Amino acid sequence: MAAQATRQRTGFWQNEKARGEALTAYLFLSPYLIITLVFTVGLLIYAVYLSFTRFDLFTPPEWRGINNYIESLGDARFLRSLYNVAWYSLIVTPVQTLLAILMAVLLNAPIAGKRFFRTVFYAPSVTSSVVISMIFIWLYNRNGFINFGLSQLLSRDVTVSWLQEPRGLIEIIAGLFGGTIPADQWWLRGPSVALMAIMAMNIFTTAPTFMIMFLAALQDIPGYVYEAASLDGSYGAHRFVNITLPLLRPVILLVIVLSTIGTFQLFDQALLMTAGGPLDTTLTPTLLIYNEALGKAGPPRMGLASSMAFVLGAIIFVFTFIQRHYIERGTEQI
Amino acid sequence: MATATTTQQPAQVVQPQAKPAQYYLDRVIRYALLIGIGLVLLSPFILSFLGTFKTNREILAYPPTIIPTEWHPENWGRVWETSAGPGATFPRWVLNTIILCLVNIATQVLFCSMAAFAFARLNFPGKELVFSGMLATMMIPGAITLVPGYVLIAGRLGWVNNYAAILVPGAVGAFGIFLLTQFFKALPKELEEAAYIDGASRWQIYKDVILPLAKPALLTLVILTFQAQWNNFLGPLLYFQDASMYTMTVGLSFFRQQYQTAWNLVLVGSMLNAIPVLILFFLFNKYYIEGISYAGLK
Repeated sequence: MAAQATRQRTGFWQNEKARGEALTAYLFLSPYLIITLVFTVGLLIYAVYLSFTRFDLFTPPEWRGINNYIESLGDARFLRSLYNVAWYSLIVTPVQTLLAILMAVLLNAPIAGKRFFRTVFYAPSVTSSVVISMIFIWLYNRNGFINFGLSQLLSRDVTVSWLQEPRGLIEIIAGLFGGTIPADQWWLRGPSVALMAIMAMNIFTTAPTFMIMFLAALQDIPGYVYEAASLDGSYGAHRFVNITLPLLRPVILLVIVLSTIGTFQLFDQALLMTAGGPLDTTLTPTLLIYNEALGKAGPPRMGLASSMAFVLGAIIFVFTFIQRHYIERGTEQI
Repeated sequence: MATATTTQQPAQVVQPQAKPAQYYLDRVIRYALLIGIGLVLLSPFILSFLGTFKTNREILAYPPTIIPTEWHPENWGRVWETSAGPGATFPRWVLNTIILCLVNIATQVLFCSMAAFAFARLNFPGKELVFSGMLATMMIPGAITLVPGYVLIAGRLGWVNNYAAILVPGAVGAFGIFLLTQFFKALPKELEEAAYIDGASRWQIYKDVILPLAKPALLTLVILTFQAQWNNFLGPLLYFQDASMYTMTVGLSFFRQQYQTAWNLVLVGSMLNAIPVLILFFLFNKYYIEGISYAGLK
């Protein structure tokens, strides 16, 4: 039977049939292939080319070799923007991952109103970044609810202009002990109050997205694993640390990688809430690239902007590669 | 966490007395946390919603009020009358947003499902290569294609103030294809085989067998596409320079600069943008969650 079928398929008929199927498949794929070849692959190649040129949109690109890369790596504002997102990622990624796990574990238990709580928890994640930014600009204003709430909580007047405060975390702590950080050592100052205000807001909107991923993973853990654990006398915190967390490891890796990719590309909120200010302490690489490319600060510098984008891409790649390597090696040891 | 109910019997065997107290303490802590987190996550929306009814003086007063002292529901009507120049009114921005969403959903559903059908059901040379290439494109940071994208779309193609600037590059996407491919692969093949024997063409199989079976996955794609396009900010910001072409998100950010002091109207606009997505989410949250979980599976 099988041999007969094979023999039948070796003739001209078979070729024509296979060719017909391949042709149909590529016809079905053609809208995607055309769009992606032009707007993804094409743009990627064009970006590589642009990153080696000087281009202001109006006169033809002029070849510069690797000078854009040298210039971007020496650009004070670009380095400042990388410093900002490095702090941003360092704080936001662990905090939102932990919060997401906590919320997922709470929701995974047999509780009344599970659907209701899940829906409430997830609501900030479906709202647009623009709306969230508008709401928080209002909440963060000097007369806003954040200052009011903190004043009530600490029973003293809090009048911080959250989004206009350039002082850094380390600078503030040093100030408590009478220390100062000179202007030429800005990189010792830590994330500014304005940047931390954006961090808090984004943790609020992104943690629920990752919560859903953890929830899906928790629901995939078979019940007998927990039954066996309880027979061995493993409950509560002990069971969470020794059974649940190791089983969640692949999802934790995924969430950390996705979070790193996302945090390094912060744009909407930084543009809307602070436009990179005060004193460039919320300037992000993507915002700088946008400003350079569109000529928001002088003539458009498309080539330089492209080289900055590739430096950013390389940094994201290296970080996610290290995370992947580190966490996967950890898993093998278990 | 499921200790209390699923492990009742073994728990009694191990620790007969400790359990009931632990059980009630667990419950109290758990509900306190759930309600506390829920309140923190919802309070910005509740405060903003109440803020939409306040006068602009009250909305910026200190100490802030939670419940408006005077109710001004007419704020919700005033937003519709605001304008940023000839033809650039709030209703126009809503219309632009709806047009972008509808066309984007239509092309995404059609083109993604066609590509997914090829990946899930047809054999062709280069299949593995094209599929893994597609997954690789999902890893490219948006900052890299931002600059050449602007040069191509605004410069070469001249699509400034043209819906095409958003709709053509976004007509089909790797995420949608991936989502549908996984779903199509899981569908039983018997119906198709019967249809092939009856002489149906591949297009008919796709249209009459696969698509009707794939409704839940298609609905997930519709909802996620709607949300992404409704909330899209960078695209319209880059390509729609004429105020009459603004979408709600770009209009809102403009609104805030223009009407710096009219915070009550900014909040009304924000609520008008947030409410449709929130309603859709409340109605279809199962599909949202499946979509996000799929994203986690790649």
